[in-house]
Order: sequence, then C-alpha cells, then structure tokens
Amino acid sequence: MITRALLVLGLLLFFFVGPGTSSKAQDAQAIVQASFDYWRGKASVATVEMVIHRPDWERPMTINAWTKGKSDSIFFITAPPKDKGNGTLKRGKEMWIYNPKVNRVIKIPPSMMSQAWMGSDFSNDDLAKSDSILDDYTHTLMATETHEGKTVYVIKLMPKPDAPVVWGMQRLKIREDHILLQEEFYDEDLTLVKAMTGSQIQMMGGRLFPKVWRMQKADVKDEYTELTYQELEFRDDLPDNLFTLSNLQNPRR
Amino acid sequence: MSIDLTMAWRNIWRHPRRALLTIAAIAFATVLLVFMLSWQFGSYDTMINAAVRLHTGHLQVQARGYHEQQDMHLVVSDPTAVNRILEGIPEVTAHTARATAFSLVSSKERTYGVAVRGIDPVRETQVTTLKQLIREGHYLTEGDTNAALVGGLLAKNLRVGVGDEVVLLGQGRDGSIAATVVQVRGIFSYGQDELDRNVIYIPLPYFQEVYSMRGAVHEVVALCVSLEAVPRVKRAVAAGLKTIDEENTLVVLDWMELMPGLIQSIEMDLVSGLIFYVILIIVVAFSILNTFLMVIFERTKEFGVFMALGTTPGRLTRLLLLESTTMTLLGTIIGILAGSLVTWYFQVHGIVISGTSEMLRQYGLPERMYPQLSALSVVVGAGLVLVITLMTALYPALKVRRLRPVEAMRAV
Repeated sequence: MITRALLVLGLLLFFFVGPGTSSKAQDAQAIVQASFDYWRGKASVATVEMVIHRPDWERPMTINAWTKGKSDSIFFITAPPKDKGNGTLKRGKEMWIYNPKVNRVIKIPPSMMSQAWMGSDFSNDDLAKSDSILDDYTHTLMATETHEGKTVYVIKLMPKPDAPVVWGMQRLKIREDHILLQEEFYDEDLTLVKAMTGSQIQMMGGRLFPKVWRMQKADVKDEYTELTYQELEFRDDLPDNLFTLSNLQNPRR
Repeated sequence: MSIDLTMAWRNIWRHPRRALLTIAAIAFATVLLVFMLSWQFGSYDTMINAAVRLHTGHLQVQARGYHEQQDMHLVVSDPTAVNRILEGIPEVTAHTARATAFSLVSSKERTYGVAVRGIDPVRETQVTTLKQLIREGHYLTEGDTNAALVGGLLAKNLRVGVGDEVVLLGQGRDGSIAATVVQVRGIFSYGQDELDRNVIYIPLPYFQEVYSMRGAVHEVVALCVSLEAVPRVKRAVAAGLKTIDEENTLVVLDWMELMPGLIQSIEMDLVSGLIFYVILIIVVAFSILNTFLMVIFERTKEFGVFMALGTTPGRLTRLLLLESTTMTLLGTIIGILAGSLVTWYFQVHGIVISGTSEMLRQYGLPERMYPQLSALSVVVGAGLVLVITLMTALYPALKVRRLRPVEAMRAV
C-alpha cells in the first residue's frame, strides 16, 4: 500500500513539478529572447553619443553603428576629429579594431576581451558577447514589479556550467512591452560589479526605446559611461558586405 | 677570587682532550653562525642592489595612488620641478623619468596586450641596467622617435625581429585613441618572463606625444649613493615635494614600498635561517651539557671533600660556572676570529655556486656572491652561542648545591 501511494505521489510530483519548472524557465527564456529581438531588431542603423564620465574629466564621442541579426555589428567613431575614422567590427564572438592613423586592422586577442572598449565602462566582451545572454545562461523568473503602470519581469541569469562567460550572475529587468530597463552584472561571489540602466523611454525608429543607457560601476560613484541614441532606425536587412574587414578598413558610407 | 680562577683554569685542563673538543664545538658553531649570517646579509645586499638597478630604483616620485591603481591619469604633471629637487640632494646619484600605458601591440599576424613604457634613453642608463640587457640590435639613442625596445619573449610571440614594425594601439591621457607604428630597434632580455613578455620601451618624448601626456610622466626614479642613504634622501625629497605640490598629490616611495615582495622573501629567508641556527646551537648546547654533567659525576667525591672542609655550595657553583664561562668564552673568541677570517676571505674572492647561475639570472643577480662581514653578523651569531651555552652550563652548576658532604664522599 505504502509503496503504491509513494509511487502515485512520485508520479504526481513528476507531472506537476517537472514540467512546471521547465515551462517557467521557458517563460523566462522567452521573455529574454523577445526583449533581445525587440531591442536588436533584424537590423539597425544608429547614431549614438557616448560620454565617458570620470570625476576629473569627461569625454564625448559620436559613433555610427550598424547591427544585423544576433551578433554582427560595426561601429565607426565620427567625432571628436582626433578619433574620427576609428572602427570596430564584431562578427560572432570575434572583434577587430581599425585605426586610420596607422591604417591597420587589429584583431583583439582573447586576453584583451575583458578590457575596456575605447576607455569606456563597456568591455570588449560586453560588445562581443551581447547575444550570449540568450545562449550561455539559464533563465529564471525571480519576481515582477511595476514600472509606469506596466509589469516588469526580474529575471536571474546563471551561467551554464561550460559557458565561456566572465560573470557569475546577471539580472535583467524587462518590461512587459519587451523594453530592457536594467542589466546588472555580478561576479563569481555574486557581488554587483556594474549595472546598465535605460531611461528616457520614447518612440525611436518606430518603437518605444530607451534613449539613454548608462553603464555604472558598482564600487565607484562618479564614474560611468552614457550612451545616448541620437538617431535609430530599424531595418529588415543590411547587406552582408557591410560587416567585413575590408569595409572596416575602407568604409563605404 | 683569583684562587678560584686559577682552580677553574687548572680544572679545565685536567682533561685536555675533552676541554679542547668542547671548545672546538663551540668555536665551530660560532664560525658557522658568523659566516652564514654574513652570507645571508651579503646576499640580501646583492639582491636588493640588483633589483633596484633592474627597474625600480631606490626611490620613486609618483602621483598618490598610482602605484596601486596604475591609472594613467594619475600623473606627475611637472617632472622638471621634481628633477630640480632631486638634483639639489647630493646623495642622489642619478634620476630619470618614465611613463607607462597599457596598450595593444600588434605585428602582422598577432596581437598582445602589453605595458608600453616611455623612457629617457640617456638618463635611463644611469639608473638601470637596461642598456646592458640588449641582446639583439641596439639601445635607443637621444632624438629617436618611433623606435622601440621589445622584450625577447614578446618579440618571439609577435614573430618580429630587429627592424620590423609593430603597431601600438592604446588610449591617451585625454581619452583619445593613441596609435602609432614603431620600429623594433633592439630586443632586451631580463631573464624574467614577466618583463620579457609584457614590456615595450619607446623614447619618453615620443611617448608623451603619442599618448597626449602634455609633458607629464608617471614616475620619477632616483638612485642613491647607498641603501643606508635611502631613508635620509626620502625625507629630503618629501620635504622638497611639499614646496612644489600644494595639493599634496605626489608621494615618494622607497624600494621597500615599490617591491614589497623582495622584503618578504628576505624576511622568509631570514626566518628559515634562524630555525637552522637554533637547531645548530641546540646540538652544541647538548654537547656542552654532556661535558659538565660528566664533570659533576666524576668529581662528586672531590666536591664532598671540599664541602666537608667547609666550602660553601655557593662557592662550588661559582667555581663550576667559572670553568664553563672560561671554556665558552675561549670557544666563541676563537670562533669569531676564525669565522671572520673565513668570511673575509670569501668577501674578497666571492663564491660561485655551480649550477645556480641560471636561477640567479632569473632574479637579475650576478653569478658570484659575496658575504658581507658586519658587526651585526658577528655579534648576533657569537652572542647566541654564548647565551645558550651559558644557560646550559647553569643546570649542572646548580645541581652541585644539592650534594650532601657525607654521601658525596662515598660516591664512586
């Protein structure tokens, strides 16, 4: 009798708990996927102003950016004049930078991927692995909040055992209309390292989009990097030859 | 008292062979201690001087926090003013300025992250041994612009040789992108992988131009006449800095603060040495204890007679202590003399330990090591032996006080 009861109980637990958790994980995964598709679009063209802020100095830069699909992107600095023409190409998980002064393309070695990109608070990894939040982590829905009357999902991302990532955990806040409000980066000890926060949500390129993104280190107050979208346009497609080394070196613009 | 001394002296030589052996044991321990301590102190001096001449110098003036954070925005903005202070101190023999930026270095096929250092080609040779470490090609000359010295391992990794071009790509002090092409002028090898793999030197003025330094540097390095002069010079520099740097942004760091690892390894070596010395002294102490215990056992009858004749136990103790003190003193004096002689010989001629030159080169040390005889190494070694043997001799000397005259006279 008892064994039978246990068996039934076990089966019940299996049917309820088993699929229940996995569908919850799928929910979280789906939310992240939808949000990622939303902010990346199929392809996009943007002009972004990047300001690196430090206690004793501040440096603005203007960047033209093209993205396509999950992982291809190319950026060119257009201002200040001193840095004009510097470019970064990202394909898959690889990155190259181009400097017009020395007229060379340099591939960023794996050992330098955790270094700052152009001296900002974004690392090369942040740019190169932006789509790894989909594939390298398991997603769990932690809680829901409300923001301007809309539901916000708080999702915890734990790296998969063999995933080549530097973070011990990430936490995303995604609004129900797919807008990413915040991305927090934690180290292996699960202490906050830095956080990226979106603000000034407004219509851009035909959809609601946070105009300003701020990446702030957790341990220092007055140091951050702010991205402000000046222009943003979503497209259905961009030519493949835009994301090539030869285009990095001789931009066809 | 003088009769006691005569008796003690005669008692020692009642067994000349035993007395000589004991004295020899004490002397041998002293010789070893004097020599080993001198050797240790000598090798520390060599290590420190070699390390100082390798890169860091005795003292450095830096912006506060630069040493910990290596942030290129923390600069010494007016190196000329610092130079004036250093030139006003007679005990400073040479000084130079450097700047450092972490950059990508790329050859045709490969890219690495390295520290690019701007150095003053002329002054650098007065402070460090860099010029002697060039294995291929040439050192930088004054007025060079886009020339670079590359570490041996880095050159191998980049697959470049003398005359090839490499691209440097980093960030300037103003946040702008710093990029340049430099030609490999020479290849250096410190024998330390860390430096040979990660460092590129370019001329300082060119560095300041490429990295938009606006005349600033990251460290002003000074060399003093001797290690002993360092604290004095440090105080003088600190006082001088107060006059030019009102916001108190500059600090002066000595080699101990710049290379804490060196002091730690010296301390570790000293402690492990001390453990060895204590073991050595304990062995010697036991042999002395043995000698004096035997004295008591074989002279019990004699002591009984002394006591029956009215000698106080206190006087007997004093007699025994005189004997042991005389022997210990003899031993240590002979030890100090012989030890100093041996040490002095090697101090003049040096010692080469075969097969270690490769390891020593790794630490930038010369092949031949010299012990350094000093008052400290003599006094510490001999003093330790003296104190411990005297303490050992105390036990048998006090044991005499428990003797009863009648029983003692019956003892065999």
